[in-house]
Order: sequence, then structure tokens, then C-alpha cells
Amino acid sequence: MNDNKNTGSEHKGSPKYWLSLEQWRQDPEFLEQAGAEFQSTPLREESSEGGWARREFLKLMGASMALSTIGCLRRPAQKIVPYVKRPPEITPGKINYYSSSFADGSMGFGLVVATREGRPIKAEGNTDHPVNAGAMSARAHAHLLALYDPERATTPLKGDGGAGSALTWEKLDEEVVAALKQGGVALLTSSVLSPSTKALVNEFVRGSGGKHYTWEPMNLAAHRQAQQECYGQAVLPHVRMDQAKYILSVDADFLGTFLQPVEHNRHFGGRRKPGKEMNKLVVFESLMSLTGANADERYRIRPSQQVAVVMGILHELIVGSKVSRYAGDSSVTSILAGYADVASQLGIDAKVMQRVAGDLWAHRGQSLVLAGGLTGQTSQARGLQVAVNFLNSVLENDGKTLNARTWTYTGYQGSASDLADLKADIDSGKVKSVIVAGVNPGYSAPHLKESLKKVTTIYVGDRMDETGQVAKYLASAHHEMENWSDLEVVAGVYSIQQPTIQPLYGTRAFQESLLAWGKAAGFGGFQGAATWYDYLRNHWKNSVHASHRGQGIGKLGFEEFWYEVLQQGVFDTTGGSQDHASRGFNTQALKAAAKTEGSSAEFELVLYPTVGLMDGTLANVSWLQEFPDPVTKICWDNYLCVSPKDARTLKLHEGDVVKVTAGGNTVEAPAHIQPGQADGVLGLAVGYGRSAAGKVANGVGVNAYALATYGEQDAVYSGLNAKIEKTGRSIELANVQGHHSMEGRQIVVEATLDQFLENPSANIHRHKMVSMWSGHEYKGHKWAMAIDQSTCTGCSACMIACQSENNVPVVGKKYVLRGREMHWLRIDRYFTGEPEDPAVVYQPMPCQHCDNAPCETVCPVAATTHTSEGINDMTYNRCVGTRYCSNNCYYKVRRFNWFDYTKIEAPMHLALNPEVTVRARGVMEKCTFCIHRIKGAKHQARVEGREFKAADVQVACQQSCPTKAIVFGDMNDPESQVSRMFQEGRSYTLLEEFNAAPAVRYQTKVRNADQLKSGSAHGEGHHS
Amino acid sequence: MIKRNQLVLGNKNYKTITEDIVHLLEKFPPKNYYIGLAVAVVLLMVYVVAQGATAVFGMGLQGVNHPVGWGTDIITFVFWIGIGHAGTLISAILFLFRQKWRTSIARTAEAMTVFAVMVAGTFPIIHTGRPWLGYWLLPYPNQRGPLWVNFRSPLLWDVFAVSTYATVSLVFWYIGMVPDLATIRDRAKHPVRKLVYGMLSLGWRGTARSWSHYEIVYMLLAGLSTPLVLSVHSIVSFDFAVAGLPGWHATIFPPYFVAGAVFSGFGMVVTLMVLLRKLVPVFKDYITLDHMEAMNKIIMCTGLMVGYAYSMEFFIAWYGGSPYEGFIFLNRAFGPYGWAYWIMVVCNTVIPQIFWWKHARRSIPIMFVVSIFVNIGMWFERFVIVVTSLHRDFLPANWGMWKMTIFDAGAIIGSFGMFFTLFLLYIRTLPPIAIAEVKPVLPVGRDGGHHG
Repeated sequence: MNDNKNTGSEHKGSPKYWLSLEQWRQDPEFLEQAGAEFQSTPLREESSEGGWARREFLKLMGASMALSTIGCLRRPAQKIVPYVKRPPEITPGKINYYSSSFADGSMGFGLVVATREGRPIKAEGNTDHPVNAGAMSARAHAHLLALYDPERATTPLKGDGGAGSALTWEKLDEEVVAALKQGGVALLTSSVLSPSTKALVNEFVRGSGGKHYTWEPMNLAAHRQAQQECYGQAVLPHVRMDQAKYILSVDADFLGTFLQPVEHNRHFGGRRKPGKEMNKLVVFESLMSLTGANADERYRIRPSQQVAVVMGILHELIVGSKVSRYAGDSSVTSILAGYADVASQLGIDAKVMQRVAGDLWAHRGQSLVLAGGLTGQTSQARGLQVAVNFLNSVLENDGKTLNARTWTYTGYQGSASDLADLKADIDSGKVKSVIVAGVNPGYSAPHLKESLKKVTTIYVGDRMDETGQVAKYLASAHHEMENWSDLEVVAGVYSIQQPTIQPLYGTRAFQESLLAWGKAAGFGGFQGAATWYDYLRNHWKNSVHASHRGQGIGKLGFEEFWYEVLQQGVFDTTGGSQDHASRGFNTQALKAAAKTEGSSAEFELVLYPTVGLMDGTLANVSWLQEFPDPVTKICWDNYLCVSPKDARTLKLHEGDVVKVTAGGNTVEAPAHIQPGQADGVLGLAVGYGRSAAGKVANGVGVNAYALATYGEQDAVYSGLNAKIEKTGRSIELANVQGHHSMEGRQIVVEATLDQFLENPSANIHRHKMVSMWSGHEYKGHKWAMAIDQSTCTGCSACMIACQSENNVPVVGKKYVLRGREMHWLRIDRYFTGEPEDPAVVYQPMPCQHCDNAPCETVCPVAATTHTSEGINDMTYNRCVGTRYCSNNCYYKVRRFNWFDYTKIEAPMHLALNPEVTVRARGVMEKCTFCIHRIKGAKHQARVEGREFKAADVQVACQQSCPTKAIVFGDMNDPESQVSRMFQEGRSYTLLEEFNAAPAVRYQTKVRNADQLKSGSAHGEGHHS
Repeated sequence: MIKRNQLVLGNKNYKTITEDIVHLLEKFPPKNYYIGLAVAVVLLMVYVVAQGATAVFGMGLQGVNHPVGWGTDIITFVFWIGIGHAGTLISAILFLFRQKWRTSIARTAEAMTVFAVMVAGTFPIIHTGRPWLGYWLLPYPNQRGPLWVNFRSPLLWDVFAVSTYATVSLVFWYIGMVPDLATIRDRAKHPVRKLVYGMLSLGWRGTARSWSHYEIVYMLLAGLSTPLVLSVHSIVSFDFAVAGLPGWHATIFPPYFVAGAVFSGFGMVVTLMVLLRKLVPVFKDYITLDHMEAMNKIIMCTGLMVGYAYSMEFFIAWYGGSPYEGFIFLNRAFGPYGWAYWIMVVCNTVIPQIFWWKHARRSIPIMFVVSIFVNIGMWFERFVIVVTSLHRDFLPANWGMWKMTIFDAGAIIGSFGMFFTLFLLYIRTLPPIAIAEVKPVLPVGRDGGHHG
């Protein structure tokens, strides 16, 4: 220790051993020196004043080292368990498919959901379901992404007008049940398409002594009422588009948004192959719809003229040509007399009306007349439907192309009168609590908001949306992919909806909630079912299976039957012929279609649904917001469609913001000049202008529902008397397409049916191609795609199929405006003819996989190369991003990652397809011909020890196409469908003269019309 | 007999020449130099921020899009590469043709080449989506397979052409400077200065042997540089001409690009020389109005050549009969970017016509304005080629527009900052006029017209 002290203390006696005399003498000078001899003696402590001694320093040092490294522990041992006891059906890396169903308000069909390691990654069509037969719609694909919406409510919430406060299910149930026990229970739902849910709802309503109100904006109440009046049956007859050779549509967008568009596309497209059996579509419409875009003949009318068109044709037939058994019926002719001079009122050539009437008559029993949808919801909606029913009866279509006995549509049950009743019942105090499910009246019927605030509103929804904000409780619901259910979208066709993932959050199914509340409130026994799953099974056992024991798999015992149903996803009990005897038409009903005073409105406003958003339920799905409207090609906004002539008179330019006033309400929307729109008509899409749907949808566009008129019996969405006023402001609309005319180039070749029948290659200008090189040799397969522009309706389901399959990112409006959208497959839409009254053609544009690909030669790092099977490969991790390939691509199908799009907000990353690389910033990407599917199918064949067949592969766009316009296959197999299509006379290569030799070939768009609006689609100044 | 104008004015002798030029490097520059340098450095910072942000966050910051995949970076790259051409032309081709008037402007023109290529070189790298992988464009044995580059891609030829050009220009410039650097070394008093210039002058002693070797090397390098004058811009033009795009796919591109490059290069040389004369008044004796006039003649001549190319492109677009080609050219002149086309035509073919008048050729203000217009016009020429060809190509559905963002503007303006920073540092550190080359062209013993 301190030797100074020791030395000193020993001095008290005498040192035992001494080294020098000085020491022995204890000389003070020596002692001082001895102490300082080693300045740095390791044992010294008080070496300098105020400084730290060495030991102290070491102690502190050690302590601080220990403190500073205390966080640097070894990684804690966390034991993991290997995936030994994996569920038997799950193989990591392999897709499991589960049959399920999709229902969006009122249209629905069977799905097969692809799951990977327990998470759904893609929805595909169920090929066994008779409605869609494997086809899909854009929304059915996008419905998957809604499952992973980060803004879903994760717990039940108590409403406070804002984001709400969380509470437990027990607490919620307690409070809800207490409210329900007060009586005066109302249940507001959209059409209940699930038979089991319907049974449960009925039981609940019965038990509670309350009332069930059904409402949705896309309802077809007028159709059902008119059926009731005309035929005594309130049904929606099955539209047998496949049986119809001549179709007349009056403002009915059946290919886009009316009834069952996927089924209609499928059946319509099935008869678009040019030939003797090709159908003909004549459209009278106010806006340019997807159906109008596909018309062989199209005429423009105002919504107030819808009835007149149908009655005018009836007049032409019954009074003019004196055909049909009603010719002498004075009760009929007296009403028709008012429509004697329709053609001149409509501004349509009288010969056209005569011809259409004549053609319809010639095709009687094989024709079909449709009208309606939201665009048909004028104040005369019922009269229109009566007229249409009568025309169908006159044309003997009832029982032939219209099936009112079996296969009737169960959807679109909502009615405006239910909505009015509910409002009245709440306001009168009859209703004390309302359970709202499957419909968002806070958004789509804003006038109901105040009433809902008055009572205990329990909203069964997936988020704090517009209705959630006025509700007292949000019983946060499952996404349908987390829930058991079933679907009967067509009477007698039952399909099952299996959950494909464990609920992501603490949500609960609507049905489970009803069971819980109903039981707790003592509303009924609910078949003794403990859970919704039990209830569903019981219903299938006691109702579906019990009543169809003789049919198909119904012959099996219930357990086997149930297993079969789950596997197939569908149980079709309809069977047999859909023909039936025509129903007698009650001519008394025709009074509803009697001539009225025409509309004197300067502008008639039409609120219409879009193919992408429909009623706006899925508005927070970015895929749908960036989905270019098939007609306008605009995304991320709704806009006021104005005809070119009106725009000229009003001096409106694209994007000018205008104030639209209808029914006392005003909204501001940008104008879009829509070729082909009727003059004096304005169109505004519903589904936009959400205020509380989430980050994606909020503030996109304006809420058009605010302009609708809600009456006692009906709601009016079309033909509204509107005024517009310029604001002087202007915004840019995100249009993904730069130009809308083909500029006389040979891009989409069109021919009339007559031209085609005479020469299948009509109007195709072919080039004599000379090459010094023999070309690539393809020894095995040579992948190719044929796209039939005659059957393609432009519905764009393929675009979202591709987006879902290939992890295609969404970039937002700002960057769509800059031309940065990422869709691998786009649908080019061109107008031909005059802007006032054009024809429309569609051209799906995937990568053309050229044999002499211009992109391949210019890439400096060889990141894009040709495979031995003719696919133009893209090696993402080799790409440095010069974008030279994109510049040199004649078809401009390449997409560049301008920013880092890989940062995907959780849990949306779960929707990514693990089979497809997520592309990094700065690399080029494009359609791969779903090469992962080809590889997967080859691998599968190898595993199963069989030969790989090209037919094993379906690419995602082809799979979803309702009209089978996209055919993919092996060109080296002369028997493959793609090879046969390539041989057809109307097959041509786009930009053939540049000799890129694409592996994609198009087929002439054939129109069943006397002449083309464009004349010949021939390029000018072409040379061979 | 007509007497030739003297190449160097002011009755200089060897001593005064050395004094005039080297003195510039030996004293502190005046205040206006610092102001100029400060402006240039600020612009350089703009460049660093604009291009740095693009490198960090992605090309999306710039206006490029689908279908216009190339924009500012490529336009300005071609612009700067073109600028460089005058330097090589003056120093190499005019040297081989024994054009004695080149001596006083050659050094600075070459410096301009080197700096312009340096500026240009940054653009294609930043312009790629993943600039950190730019070295993948170099063919060298590697551990990635090895993966080789695609020798069929014009972009790769570009890499070779530009890197060769940069190397040769730099070496040529430096070798030419060695005797002058030795002069500076010999005059230097400060030891550091002596050391630095001593090292740079490579031990030059000025012996007859050194001179003999030097002259041979200089001539060889001149011979080596000469084909580069033609090849670099020919190959840059292949980036466009080899692609299949209407408006790009044209056989006239190589000579058209070379003429354009020389044109813009001389425009820039005139701009710089005017500034240099202003900044260093004594240089008016070396860079005389005769020099300026000669360069203005070249500007006018090459201006007519590009004008011919513009009209020939139109003729071929019509004569070739391809509707796509025909459309592109009509769209260039009368489409939404027609204003850019007419800026190009006016700046490049109309304005230089003023040089038919001798007065204009010898007027410093006029030539300065014209040279600025030439530079603007040539930037727009590349804009017209790149953007208007891409924005409306084969399928009308793809058509789109290109809009500049602040990052584009920052890159363009900032690149001048980089260029002028380098240039201003250069005129104070290296001899801006070739001392050793000017001395032999003094009219010593040749005045009075005694010799033929």
C-alpha cells in the first residue's frame, strides 16, 4: 500500500533491515527522496494533488468500460422450432388453392384463392362456377388487397365522431345487447347474397321484432317493380347474352357495371368471333360507356329520352309495321301513339329507327333489349323498365334470351323506399337502434347521416369510415377472405366462401356478431349453433343439401357432400334448359311508360358507376384508384364528362374545374371532354370523394352521391336537372394515354363483318419482309400470344390480374401525371371517326417478346436477353437502368422504377407474390409472359414424372379474361390454339414493317356494322 | 503584295511574352476574378446537390418518364461532349495543317475540351438508374460469372469513345504544356511553387534533344487525336442512329453530329476567348481580332452544315416515305415542342449568318451574343433530337410530354458551374496561352515583307 506510511510507522522502533545509513538514521531528507524515487511507483496513490490516482483511474476505467459495453451482450438465445409439424397441406414454396367466392354488393362469382404459407396472394376465377367460369373482374382481383389494407379497424371501436376509441368485444357486446333489448331494432344491409346469412338475418330480425331494410346505391328496384307490374313476378331475369344475336342496350352498361358484367362479358365475347353467328350490339346511350365502346352501332341520346327510344321502336313495330300480336290492341297503340315521331325528337335518322326495329323483329327470340343500371335511374326508371319488358315480350325474348324462371339474379335488392322508410322510422322514434352492415350510407346516402346519429347505430364495417364516424359502435368486421360464408348470386347456384387466412386482427364477422348479440338478447335459438361456421354448416345441411338430395353431389351423404362443395366451391342445382314459355304481359302496366313532358333541362346530369370503383366500397385499394377507366383512361379522379360540342360552347378545356349544381347541391369537379357523349348531358362518376376511407381514397375526386335526389319511392341518379358554372381554376387529370387517335397508322385493324366474310385479311396491309438472317431457332417451345381484338371488350380485368400476379407497384396521381405508371399490361384505347360520335377500339398491350427485340441489342450490360423459348427476359439484378431499351422499344411496354417502390407498408407486403421478384429502384421491368408460371409448370411436370405440356401453362391475363381474347401457348405445336390463331387470315403483327417480329399477334377487330366510322384503318403512304 | 496581319500584336519579344503570360500566374488575381469564381462555385454546388439528390433518391426526380426515357442528362451530356470538339480540332487538326494562328488559342481550347469532357462524363453515370453500378459498363475480367458487356450496344461504344477521348485529350493537353510549365518553374521563387511546377514539368531542360522528341510526340498525339474529333461524336450519334426510333434512325447523324459539335465548340471557344480578353486585357495582343474572325468563319461554315443537315433530315423523312418518320419531323417543327425546334433553327442557322459581314465577324459584342445563341441553339438541337423523337413515336397511346423539374434545371445550370470553376482555376494555375508555341510565330525578322 503506501510504503511512505509503513516506512514511517516502522520508524517508531528501528528498521530490522536497513539499506543505508540514511535509512537507518531515518533521515527526513532521505525519506522524502526514497518516497519520490520512483515517480510512478505502482503503489502510489496521492501522486499529485487533485489528480486521479492510478488505481482510482483503473477502477473508474473498468467501471465505465463495463457500463459502456453492458449493451453489447451476446444475442439472446431464442429457441426456434423447425417446421417439422407443418400442416400437412402446406409445402413451403408451393401455392395452395382454396375455392371461395367474391361478392361486391350485387355482382358475384366463384373464386379460387391462391395462398402461400397461409396468406392469400391472388384471387383467381373458379372455373367450375357457372357465372364466371374462371373469368375475373378488376375489382375481384383488387378485393384481395383490401384484406391487407393497413387502415382496417383492428379492434371494435366506440364512435366519437373521429377515429373512435378501442373497447373489448365483451364490453361492446354488453352495451350493444343492452341497446338492442330496448326494442326498435332495425337492420340496414346491402343485398344479402349469402343464403346462410340471409337465414341468420331473418331469424335475428324475427327474434328481435325489428325490421330489415335493404339498400345499396346500385340497386335495381325499378327493374323488380316493373317485372312485378308486367308479369306479376318481382324478379331479375337471367340475361342470356350467349343466346342473343341482336342486342339493344339503352343506357345499360352491361359490359362494365350492370347486372353481372363478368358473365355478360363472357357470353357476349363468346359470340364476338367473326362469322355467321356473330352477334350485333346496338347501343343508345347518353354517356360513353364500356358497352357503348363495344357497340357495332351507337346512337347518342339524353337520359330523358331513354323511354322514348324503346317506345319509339315499339311504335315502329306495332303501329308502323303492324307486327306482333299486340298490333291491334288499342290499349297498347293508344299509349304508343304518343311516340309516333320519336326519331325526329331524338335527332336520329328515322331510317335508323326503322332498321333497328326491323332487325330486332327479324331476330325475335334471339334478341335482347336491356336498359338501366344507375344511368337508367331517372325519374322514369320504372316506365323504362316496363317499356323494355314489353319490347322483350313483343320480340318473344321472354323465356328465350331472358330466363325469369330459373337462374334469376338475387342481387340488387336494395330499394330507395327502404331507405326512405328507415329514415322515417328513425325520425318518428320507432327505431331505437340500427345495425348497419355491408353498406356505407354515411357516404352513399349522406342525407341519412343525421338520422343515424339520433339512434344507437352499430356499424359492422371494416374501418372508421363515413358511417363509422356517425355510428356509436364499430363492430369491426372481417375481410371476406377471413370469413366463412356462401353465395347464391344466381338462384340455385350455391357457392362456398372459405376463409383463406386467420383473421389478421381482433375483428369479428358480421354473422358472428349477430349470433352473439341475438343469443345474448334472447332473440332466438339460432339452430343451436355455437359459431357462425356451425350455423353455416347447419344451413347447408338442413336447407341446401336437404332440398337438393337428388342432384349431382347432393346424392352423397352430407359430410362427403360438404367436402365436395368445399373442394369445388360451387353446387349448381339449376341444371336443364333455361328456355321456358313466355310469360303473359300485362298491358295495363304500359301506362307507366306513357309519353310525358320531355325534360327541359339545359343539362341532364348522369351519375354513373365506373368499372374500377363501382359504388366506391373498394376505394381505398390503390390498384383500383390507379386503374385507368376503360373509357376515359383517366385514373385517380372523377370528373365531369362533357360532350365535345358542349365543351366548345362553354369554352371548357380538359381539367377546368366547374361547379355542378343539381337538386340544390353543388360539387366542384374538373371537366373531361368525352368524345361520343351526347350533347346536353353531363356525367359524374360515383365511388369517389371518400372522406374517411383511408389514405389512398380520401380526397380523391368528389362525392357524386351528394347530387342524387332521394325520394319516397325512388332515388334519381340520372337525368338530373343540372347547372354548371366555371370556376376559372384548372387541374390536371391523370390520363395514362397520351393520344387517342391512331393517326391513320395500322395499329388496330378494323373490318366490317361483310368485309371479313369476303376476305379474312380485309384491311390488313401486309409487308413483304426480307431478312439476311434466318432468325432464332427454337428447338423446344416457342411461346406466343394471340390477342383477339374482336372479342376483347376492354374490361381491363387482365390489367389488375397482372398487377396482382407480378407485384406491380402503384405510383400515385402525381407520378401518373408524369407518365410513370407501372402497369405491365396496358389496354390502349383509340377513337376513330369524328370526336362527336366516334367508334372505340381496344388493344391490350403486353410486352411483345420480339424475336428481333430492339431492346436486347441496345442494352450495354446485356440485362435483357432472349431465351431459347422465345421469351424476352429481363435480368433485374444486372440492369443498371440506362433506359435505352425503353427508348428503343417500338411498343413502349417497358416500365422503369423511378424511385424505390419496394417499401410497401405492412401488411400490404403480404399480398406480394413470392414467385416474382420485387424490383429495386433504378431497374427496368416489363411483362415476362408469366415466366414463373412456365417454370412452375415445368417443375410440376418433372415432379410428377410426366412430360411437360404447353397447355399446362396459363398466363395471368389470359386466365382472367372473360372473353378469352388472350390466348397463350406454344407456337411450335401446330395444334395449339395460338398456332391456329396465328394462321387465321385476320391475324397480323403490329408494326410489322419494322421487323421486330413480335411473339404477340393481334386479330382484326370485326364490327357487325354496315360501315366503319373510320373507313379503312389503313396507314397512309405505306410501302412494302 | 498583301501583307499578312501579324499573329501577335504589340511588338512583343520573347521576354515580354513570357512576362505577359506567366505574370498572370505569379500575382494574386484581381477582385473580379474572385467574384467570378464565387459565382461558379455556387453553381457547382447547385450541380452537386441536383445530381447528388438524383443519385440518392432516383431518376424520378428529373422530368424523364415513359415514353421520354432520356432527358436532361443525355441532352446535356451530348452538349458538353460537343463543346469539347473545338479544342481538339484547333489543337490537333489545325496543327497538322500548320495553321499558325491556332497557337495562341490552342491551349485554352484544349483546356475547354478537357473540362467539357469531365463535365459531360458525370451525366451518363448519374443518368443510370443505379449509378453505383456504372462500372458494369466496363469490360474487364470479373467475378460475376464473368459477365461481359454487350458489345452490340451503342451505349457501350460510347463508353469507349468518350473514355478514349478524355484520356487522349488530357495527355495531349498536358504534353503541350510541359515546356511552359518548365518556364514557370524556372521563374518560381517560392520553393513549393518550384517543387510543384518542377514535378509537373517532368524535368524539362529545353535541350535540342528534348525539343526534338517533344515535337515528334506532339505531332504523334495530334495525329492520334485527329480521328477522335470525328469518331467521338460519330459514336455519340450512334446512340441515336442505331436505335430504331423515327427521328433517330438516320444515316446522316454521324457527320451531322460532328459538324454540330465543331459548331458548338467554336461557339464556346469564342465565348471563352471574349471573356478571357476581358479578364486579362494583355491577352488582346495574343488573341487578336484576326483569331476571333477566323473562328467566326468556322462558326458560320459549320452552321451552314448543320442547317443543311436539318433540311436533309426533312427531305429524307419525306423521300423515305415512312409515315412514322414523316410524322416525327412535322411534329418537331409544328408539334407541342415546335418552339424548341424554331429556337434551334434560328440560333444555329439564322443568327450565324450575320458573320457574312466582316464588321460583325470582328465585333466583339456581336460575336459574343452570337456565340451564346449558338450554345443555346445547340443545347436545343439535342433537346429536339432526344425529346421530340421520343415523345411521340410509333403507337399514339404511348405519346406523352416531358416537363423539366428543378432537378433538371439544377443539372443544366450547375454543369456550367462545374465547367467555369475548373476554367477559372485553370487560368490562374496553368499558362492559358502556349508560351513556347507563340514565340515561334512572332514576326521577328519577317516583318517588312522581305520574305515571300
